[in-house]
Amino acid sequence: MASALRSAILGHVRVPVVTTGSKLLTPLWINRSTSVRSMSSHDDHLEKTQVIDRILDIVKSFPKVDPSQVTPEVHFQKDLGLDSLDNVEIVMAIEEEFKLEIPDKEADKIDSCALAIEYVYNHPLAS
Amino acid sequence: MATAVPPPCRSEILSLFRSILRSARDFPDYNIREYTKRRTIESFRDNKTLSDPSTIATVFSDGNSQLQVAKRQAVVYSLFAPNIKSIMDIKH
Repeated sequence: MASALRSAILGHVRVPVVTTGSKLLTPLWINRSTSVRSMSSHDDHLEKTQVIDRILDIVKSFPKVDPSQVTPEVHFQKDLGLDSLDNVEIVMAIEEEFKLEIPDKEADKIDSCALAIEYVYNHPLAS
Repeated sequence: MATAVPPPCRSEILSLFRSILRSARDFPDYNIREYTKRRTIESFRDNKTLSDPSTIATVFSDGNSQLQVAKRQAVVYSLFAPNIKSIMDIKH
């Protein structure tokens, strides 16, 4: 009974997928409902754009950094002219923003915005 | 005279810096937290250019004792933390 109710609800909630290709070319085994996961419980992961924006904000609000030079690929020590102490400070700020605990070994490797974004995005507990 | 204590290497210094900043997070009082962070950043930056090994070792052991002080005080302050948080802690 619950499964019938669920499939009825799923049938109504489904968002139509617009495909530009011809219908003859799409194989019959592609199930369109896999593009929508209405009742999935593992979707509270952060979006990559959110992660990038938040990390760039943290780096830009650092007093020694020139905000116009900050891009997602910028290297803290080579491009922004910071030193290792500033590096530690930035990683601590990132830890506070995303409520993470980054172990020292990993924190030492985070040298650039790209690495920071990758680490936070791949961390399961980031929020 | 006892043999000189070897000066700390770069990773030890960075690890001490990180530990003190982490211990600052445990303080319930906003002012003390910010002071701890500000003070460690300033003092590590001021001593960045030291080159004499014995001075570096002295300053490093000072930093270690300050770390122990901060850890103990964080525990003591948490025992008597006020219920009302500082206005700066409340995010808008």
